[in-house]
Order: sequence, then structure tokens, then C-alpha cells
Amino acid sequence: MPNIWAIGGGKGGSGKSFITGNLGILLAKGGYKTLLVDVDLGAANLHTIIGLPIPEKSISDFVNKKVGTLEETVESTPVRNLYLISGAMNNLDIVNLAHEQKLRIMRSIFKLSYDYILLDLGAGTSFNTIDFFMISNSGIFVTTPEPTSIENIYRLIRSVYFRKIRQVLNSHDFRALAEEAQGRDGRATVSSPDILLYIMKELDPKKGEILENELRAFNFKLALNQLRKQDNPNIGTLICKIIQRHLAMKMHFVGNISFDESVHNAVCKKIPFLDLYPYTQTALDLRNCHKNLMSVSKAEPILQNVVDQ
Amino acid sequence: MKPYREQNYYELLEILPDASPLEIRRAYKRVFELYQDESIVNYSFFSKEERQEILSLLQKAYLALIDLESRAQYDRRLIEVGLLDKKGQYSDKAKEPVPIYDFKKIHFDKFEPGRRLEELKERVSQNQLIRKIMDQDILTGADLHKMRTELEVPLEEIAENTKVQIGMLRAIEEDNLELLPPAVYLKGFLKSYARYLQIDEKVVVNGFIKHVGEGK
Repeated sequence: MPNIWAIGGGKGGSGKSFITGNLGILLAKGGYKTLLVDVDLGAANLHTIIGLPIPEKSISDFVNKKVGTLEETVESTPVRNLYLISGAMNNLDIVNLAHEQKLRIMRSIFKLSYDYILLDLGAGTSFNTIDFFMISNSGIFVTTPEPTSIENIYRLIRSVYFRKIRQVLNSHDFRALAEEAQGRDGRATVSSPDILLYIMKELDPKKGEILENELRAFNFKLALNQLRKQDNPNIGTLICKIIQRHLAMKMHFVGNISFDESVHNAVCKKIPFLDLYPYTQTALDLRNCHKNLMSVSKAEPILQNVVDQ
Repeated sequence: MKPYREQNYYELLEILPDASPLEIRRAYKRVFELYQDESIVNYSFFSKEERQEILSLLQKAYLALIDLESRAQYDRRLIEVGLLDKKGQYSDKAKEPVPIYDFKKIHFDKFEPGRRLEELKERVSQNQLIRKIMDQDILTGADLHKMRTELEVPLEEIAENTKVQIGMLRAIEEDNLELLPPAVYLKGFLKSYARYLQIDEKVVVNGFIKHVGEGK
């Protein structure tokens, strides 16, 4: 089974594709057969980050059944060991995948034989994003040290939290739970989803425990992107702490990535940042994050397969 | 993890029940940073009321624990409900003085200094090796060290009695020229050293100075 890392974050422009692309390059250079999948349907540009021209094949060929297997949409890249499935497409209706289509993609992703598969998720908290997030064994949230971005991260994490609860409980149980929770505390379904878990444990200890274990099984990571010199470098650790304290979910901070004007240049030149500016602080930070991610993810078990449920 | 409102004060501040007041203060500062108004870290995570609630809870915890009397009261309550072990409680252990010297002071109250010196004198006069060394024209630090170990006198004892810093004595014995002071002072130290060991101070001073060279 491949290691699947999903890279997401609530807000657009926080550097998800940038980080995905460069992490992919680092993994590939480390000798791992790595596949990048651009799931940011509708706003796909991962190929640009790693310096590919607009690809001819894309994931939409698979969705539209133009090709039989997902494998056939894989493009090779100039970097050895690095492959890409582009999400670039013109077809508008595909942006919102039907549930079956999503399952089909997920199943196919699991079957691919790569060491690492990196999913570049779009902004927002649509089910698209959340479901892809949940199949990965290592969800990496990317945020910038700005209120807007942090706000969206919290929203995304809460959405994942709710989605998980919904997935574990059947709809009857969920409704009972939601009503009970709403009656006790108006915030339960809005801002403090953690209350749900405790109420569930009271209502039905057995299911509550299952739920708690499922939520514990998440191994989320946080990377803080675009950290400027004047920013507090501890923000990332503090965010993780808040989430761990109040949402009972594991959240591991993997590092700050410094802001660098030259990222813009690299993107404009369509050359991977790590190739163009390998000796910058930002490149160092990326390598550092990569190192941390490797050491963290080595320690964790392969996650449950949502697709089989 | 328990829901926030059910945590006890120690859990709220993320400290152990035997934390010292200093640790409590630091812990409070740390959690305060997490929930304070201007922090973007908690931005949008809590509603205003929620955050206020947490902050006041933390403040209550801090105030209850930082005062030793109210803390003892709170501990008693925790012990009653079985949440705290008596052994885990904080006790203000008298702080031990910070050691100034890098050795344990040895006290020689047992024998009077006069008798110790007489004893040394006798041993010096009987020892062949010391006599042989003292006949040399030049005395090195190693020679001094040899004589001292022959007499079984710990360096600490000399330092204690002569008030010469142990580092200095060590430097002399190890021939650590860089650490040695100008000759004027060095002579004084050597004199004290020799006098304590009851060996001829003139021989020691002259021999050692010759060894390190007058230029020092």
C-alpha cells in the first residue's frame, strides 16, 4: 500500500500546491517512487509548480471514462521517480464529483503502486476536499500566519471532525446525538464539536468509544507557510496545542516555511523552487519539513481504509 | 482527555500536582498566551464568551494554586475525591545552597591542625622518595604531585587550609603554564603549598620557578 499524504488547507493561496510539488520533488530525489495527484479540480496548477507544460492527460479522462484505469492518466515529469496526475480540465461539471466518482478515484489511488502518493487538495471545505483528506494516512494542513488562513484551517478541521462522526454513526444515531447535544449546549454543533464526543459517550458508551478511537486515529500534521521575519515562530505549535486540547485529535507540527519573494520568481519561470533556489532559507525549511514528515509518518501505522466501508 | 470544564486546576494549567510556584507561574503564562485576546492562534476557534470562560477558569486555577494556603485546601479536596495522591503533593523543600566550589568541603574537626602538621612533618622526614625529589635542582608540577600523593594529602585539604583556589593548585601540579599567575603570586602560592605539606618551602619555590622560567 502506498503512503498517502493529503495536503490541504482552508484558504486559497496559502501554498498547498507549492508545498505538494516541492515535497514531491524531495521524496522523488530521496529515491521514492512518488506520484502527485492534483485533486484541486477546477483550479489545478500543480503541473506548473513542478515545471511541466499543460498536460494532455488529466484525471478528468478517468472520470469521464475516456481511459480505463487511473494509471493511464499518469504523466512522467523531468524529475526522476516523480509522476503526476494532473487535475487540469475544461469540463466544468466535473468540479463537483459525484460520490461514486469520488469512491472510484479513491479506490484506484489505493491500487496504484507507488511509494508515496501526494494529494494536492483544493481550498474550501467541500466534501471533495474532506473525503480525500480522510483517506490519506497523513493529512497535512497548510496555513499561513494570518487570521484568515487560520480561521479556515479551524473550519476545515472541524468539518473533518463532523464528517468522521457522521461516518461512524448511522443517520439515526447521529440525529439523536445532534438533538441531544443541541438541547444541552447550543454550541455543540457549531463551534465545539468536541462536546459531541462526550455526549455520545454518555448516550452510548460503546459507540462513543469507537468514535473516539476513530478520531484518535487521525494523524494530522500542520505546516506553517509564508512565515515572515516579524511573525511569531511559535504560532504553529500553539495552533496544534489548541486543536489537541479542544478537539481531542492528534496534530503534529512539522515546521515553519519562511516567506520568500523568490517563490514568485520560480512560479513565474515555471521552474521548481528547489531547483532554482536550492540554497535559500525557504528551501532549507522545505527540506526540514520533509525530514520531519518522514520521521513522523514512519512511526504511524497505515490508516484504515475508508474506501472499503 | 477530559472535557475542558471537568479538568482540575493542575490539568488546566498542564502541570503536575507537585509543581513549584515558579512552574505554576510559567504554566499560567504559557496557557494565557494560547487564549489571550490578540493572539491570532485562537482566532475564530472560540466565541468571545467561550474564550472569556476559559480565561477566567485559568485565572481561577492560577489564583487557587499560587497561594500556598488555598492550594493546600484545594489539594485536600482533590485527595478526598481520590484525584490526587498524598505523595504527589507539592512540598517546599528547603533549597540546598548552590555549591561554589567544585569539591565537597571536607572538615577536619576531628584532629587539631597542629597535630596534623606534626604528623606530616614526621612522614616527610621518613620518606625516601620525597627526599630524593627535594634533592633535585628543578621541581616540576608532577614532582609536587608525586610528593603530595606520597603524603596522602588530598588537594582539597590544602585548598581548604591555605585558602589558595583549588584550580590554582591544580594548575601548578599539572604544569598548566597558561593558568599560572605572575611569579610574585605564584611564589606565594607555592610557599603556602609547601608549608602545608611541611616540606622546605625555599626548595619548592626555587625549584618550581626554575622549572617554569623566570620570565613568568
